[in-house]
Amino acid sequence: MGAPPPATSISFGGGHRRPVATGNQEFTLDTAAKLAAQEGGGAQVQGRSPWALAGRRLRRNYVALASLGVFLLVVVSCLLAPVYASHVAHRGANDANLTGYIHENGKTIPVISNGGSRVLPDGTVIVIPAGQPIGPQWGAAGGQYVLGADQLGRDLAVRLLYGGENSLRVGLLSAAISTIVSVLLALLAGYFGGVVDWILSRVFDLIWAFPVVLLGIALGTALSINGFHHFGIHLAAGDLWIPTAVIAFVFIPYIARPLRGQVLALREKEFVEAAVAQGAGPLRIMLTELLPNIASTVLVLFSLIVANAILTEVGLSFLGAGVQPPNASWGTLIADGQSWLATDPWFSMLPGIFIAISVLSLNIFGDGLRDALDPRAKVRIER
Amino acid sequence: MRTKRGVILAAVVATGLVLVVSACGGGGGGTTTTGPSTSGKTFAQLKVVWGTTDYMDPGLSYRLESWQLFQDVYMGLVVKAHVSCQTGDCTKILPGLAESLPTSNSAGTDYKFTLRKGLKYSNGEPIKASDFAFSIARDFKLNSPGIGFYSNIVGIDGCEAAPTSCTPSSITGITSDDKAGTIEIKLKTPESDFLYVLSIPFSSLVPPSTPLTDTENPPPPASGPYYISSYKPSRSFVLKRNPNWKKNELGTSVPNGNPDEIVGLMTDDVDRSAQLVQSGQYMYDENLLPTTRLAALKQKYASQIRFYPTPSTYYFFMNESKAPFNSLQARQAVNYAVDRSALVKLRGGLGLTTQNFLPPSYPQYKKINPYPYNLAKAKQLVQQSGTKGDHVNLYTIGDVPFDKSAGEYLQGVLQSLGYNVQIHELSGDNYFTIIGNQATKADIGFTDWFEDYPYPTDWFRILLDGDTITQTHNNNYGLVDFKDVNKEIARLAALPPSEALSAKTNAAWAAVDNTLQTKYAATVPYLNGLLTSFFSSKMDMSCDVFTDSQDDPAQMCMK
Repeated sequence: MGAPPPATSISFGGGHRRPVATGNQEFTLDTAAKLAAQEGGGAQVQGRSPWALAGRRLRRNYVALASLGVFLLVVVSCLLAPVYASHVAHRGANDANLTGYIHENGKTIPVISNGGSRVLPDGTVIVIPAGQPIGPQWGAAGGQYVLGADQLGRDLAVRLLYGGENSLRVGLLSAAISTIVSVLLALLAGYFGGVVDWILSRVFDLIWAFPVVLLGIALGTALSINGFHHFGIHLAAGDLWIPTAVIAFVFIPYIARPLRGQVLALREKEFVEAAVAQGAGPLRIMLTELLPNIASTVLVLFSLIVANAILTEVGLSFLGAGVQPPNASWGTLIADGQSWLATDPWFSMLPGIFIAISVLSLNIFGDGLRDALDPRAKVRIER
Repeated sequence: MRTKRGVILAAVVATGLVLVVSACGGGGGGTTTTGPSTSGKTFAQLKVVWGTTDYMDPGLSYRLESWQLFQDVYMGLVVKAHVSCQTGDCTKILPGLAESLPTSNSAGTDYKFTLRKGLKYSNGEPIKASDFAFSIARDFKLNSPGIGFYSNIVGIDGCEAAPTSCTPSSITGITSDDKAGTIEIKLKTPESDFLYVLSIPFSSLVPPSTPLTDTENPPPPASGPYYISSYKPSRSFVLKRNPNWKKNELGTSVPNGNPDEIVGLMTDDVDRSAQLVQSGQYMYDENLLPTTRLAALKQKYASQIRFYPTPSTYYFFMNESKAPFNSLQARQAVNYAVDRSALVKLRGGLGLTTQNFLPPSYPQYKKINPYPYNLAKAKQLVQQSGTKGDHVNLYTIGDVPFDKSAGEYLQGVLQSLGYNVQIHELSGDNYFTIIGNQATKADIGFTDWFEDYPYPTDWFRILLDGDTITQTHNNNYGLVDFKDVNKEIARLAALPPSEALSAKTNAAWAAVDNTLQTKYAATVPYLNGLLTSFFSSKMDMSCDVFTDSQDDPAQMCMK
């Protein structure tokens, strides 16, 4: 709106301004803006930070904002799982109910169909098939079994929400951890170079050499047997921190490698040399000079890696190497529903739909964020 | 033995058991039973859908899916009767390649067999008396899961110590005379189940030209009415009539078979399996019908489906060597807290609730019901035991729906009793190896057992005898070790042959069952499994012969 953005050369950091010597007058970019404004009739040009500009571009991208809204709606719904379980379904996520009944329109219906077998004296075997879980009741059973029950009589809607909470928690946390660790390693490798860079780069290469899912399965399976009990850290076998840590670990090179490249390039820039000349130490340079300049890339990578982390969690849990039973995740729910595909396909379809919505909305928002932060950037996750 | 899962038999079977009187004791050449009739029912091709097999070698395979085929392919000196358990005594041992049941000395340690004359393998080689010793030595060479069954043969120690150097001549307890066709087997001590052991596939005869390695393509030559002409692991097999099989060659013991050829497609996908028979592309489904579709299938194909009880017990083991289940009250609590009818529901109704360890088809079975479902009492017992809040490592199979659900059900039960439960869901491929390793320290878990042969030693000796516990490949997952029970099992095994199947002995075995469950709450048996047989509409159901755990494909016929 109004004046075009000032012709800044770089810096997302906000507030780091470099003076430009023009004869005996100190000439800054703000000075240039003021002069330009005077030439244009005296109207004051309001300077906007790159963040503000990015925010403005993002606000104009309605599809990205709608996607963010959808994702937040899913997150909020899943966070409300305990409320739904206690006030609507009146049943916990892991409460089996093989022999229970619900009451609907004056009728008593078993949650899991009754039946059994007996052998007659002549050896004939009579079998009455049993074990069929109740289907979706929508609202007819007073909030119980809205989406039906699973094979153990557990409320599917409750498990879907709790499963979502676990999947999103693991996905978001692992992406956050992976991003933080990757940024630190990239700064170290890029700034110091030499041996440090060589060692860290080889570590990235080593992790990169394994397919994400295979490495995740190997680590997840190993840790799901006895947990992790090293370096003073004690994680029980079913602890949610295990898939979180595994996924965070496997994604490190996917964030760290592109960031390292950026840091390597930035390290040679004049403003870094200037900082060094002014006596700034490595830590200060990394945090105040380099980090602000890679922040936009970090944000975009984070938004994209979250979607990948959620998908990886779902994959690992589906294969038994992620969230451990009886806890649900969207991946375990899909796995549980496999044997019911012919009769009760919604067992697997519902978590699948939630995964698709979450990942799609995150990806669209991530693309929007990338476009907003740097329309020229070509940040993408390569797997 | 377990279905669908390879299992290594580690427990050494019987070192001092007695003879089964009715199964041996001289003569018997004229033994008859309700013999199979196959006349006038032959047809060109039977197409079946089958569960995947582990091996197609009688020296290596330890799965029901393979043994079901072997009953018409590989013969031992004796064979189990090929008759339906509903219409005859399917547990009866009959002469196989031997012309009669063996003669034995009064102590039951020396068996003498004579081979039938003029027998040939499917490749044309003559069946010789010395092939028996070769076949047993080959089992050792292959490190077969069945070698534990032969530990009571005189001179077998060298083979046990160094299986790969085992030779027929090193087994001094087996002597044979090819010219006379006689085989003599000497045992260290009497062994009641020895004839049953001789009827299982590990004891079947293969020619000396058979390689001393896993031989699957082609499988070893056959001695029965069919030979395996083609085998593609996990994909398909073809059985054809043995060209060297003479009609009624083994008398009434083994049927000649109806189909000229049996073509099998192998899959463990039960939905696909049932669909292939529904569509009429295949004539018989060996897999269990999918429990999720059982009601619909039963309604639509009622006349084409049969249900059969099997000599199997599904149970939870409890580790009695460590807390919390070294406490009797804790074990009793779990027994009270498990609702067995709920577990039958989980199996789609395909089970009969039980609290016995022995299946009901055994003459030694006497029904007990010491733990009616009572959650309140269970909680009280846990409180009294002082184990509430203890950490429990629960193991189950994660890739078999029922096993997984049963484990998760038990987890809920244990949590409701106040235990802190960690469930470990493992792949069925290595589950029993892992829980059979004492280093795993499994506290409780899922397991099941299908008989190898119908005598209580196959249950108590292998699964619940403290004297057969091993560090690895252990089948006594709960480390059940009660001195009085161990002693009683040994005593019963050492009874004179004349008392092996007497009413008194049967009652004593029943008492062992009762003591283990009532006095010690050693395990949590909850159901005896049912199996399904699903035929296409082209098949004549009246020909279906279901022996104790399996349909006999050779006796199937068309309308």
